[in-house]
Amino acid sequence: MPALLAEAPRLLVRPGPDDGELVALTLRGNPDAFATLVERYDRAVYHLAYRTLRDVEEARDATQEAFFKAFRSLRTFKPGAKFSTWIFAIAYHACCDRLNRRKHYTGEQLPERADAGPGPEQQVIELDRAARLRCAIDALPEKYRTVITLFHLQGRQYDEIATVLGLPMGTVKTHLFRAKEQLRRLLGEMEVTET
Amino acid sequence: MTMDDNELERAIFALPLEEPPAGMRASILMSTAYRPAPAFSFLELAALGALGAVALWMVVLLVLGGGTLFIQTLAAIGNVASRVLSNATTLAWLAAGGATALWLTLFTGYQPLGVAPHRSGTRAER
Repeated sequence: MPALLAEAPRLLVRPGPDDGELVALTLRGNPDAFATLVERYDRAVYHLAYRTLRDVEEARDATQEAFFKAFRSLRTFKPGAKFSTWIFAIAYHACCDRLNRRKHYTGEQLPERADAGPGPEQQVIELDRAARLRCAIDALPEKYRTVITLFHLQGRQYDEIATVLGLPMGTVKTHLFRAKEQLRRLLGEMEVTET
Repeated sequence: MTMDDNELERAIFALPLEEPPAGMRASILMSTAYRPAPAFSFLELAALGALGAVALWMVVLLVLGGGTLFIQTLAAIGNVASRVLSNATTLAWLAAGGATALWLTLFTGYQPLGVAPHRSGTRAER
């Protein structure tokens, strides 16, 4: 589907030197090269962290932690691998650590919202289509939410998503299928609520 | 809103990314690429520590026994060192150790921040 491929996420095409070259330059002692990598991916990594953790401060800390770990272990980055997949995997691990800590301390599976305001379905009524979709994604169970977020960031590169999550590709496809199903159902319910 | 698969995917791809908090990029860079260099390198710190220890030791010797004890101790150390360094086997082992260390640094290079355990393609913990 060329039309859809053309709409694939912005991470796929980048002007300037490719990520592998930037990694090599960083290892040769050029700090500006790593700064370019940060500039390219900090927003996407933050997006993944925020969508997974749903907390601004924790997402910020997880993003910083991911880049710090990536910088420290840049020598272990395999030439030819995708930097985006690598940094997303590190960020995802950082988020999992934080979620596990949360579970340990609070005994809850999903993060608490700071406010006791209306749930995603209620908020959706007055919002536009994109905001509704975002709310619907927020209402998904965590495993589906993460898959959808990575699908948003990496497009139909299921193998890359599977690498980030450490799951078999079949499981990723199944999660994605169910996530889309739930999204459609949630969006449908929101539509009904609105009318 | 009944979306087919393509419409839903288009809508997902069209979602804008979350806006990170102000200053996040700067703090990432300050802790990684633009991290200020430490005032002393590890080798410099080790050398300073060794010099400090020797100076302290000399002061203790001078305080305890005056110049005589200090000179006697230095002479004893000089004797031991000259005996050890005049031994051909010891010199050969020292040369072999130095050459091996030099050879290893050529392959491993200098890693300013050490090596963390993360690898590309590692599996998630769950």
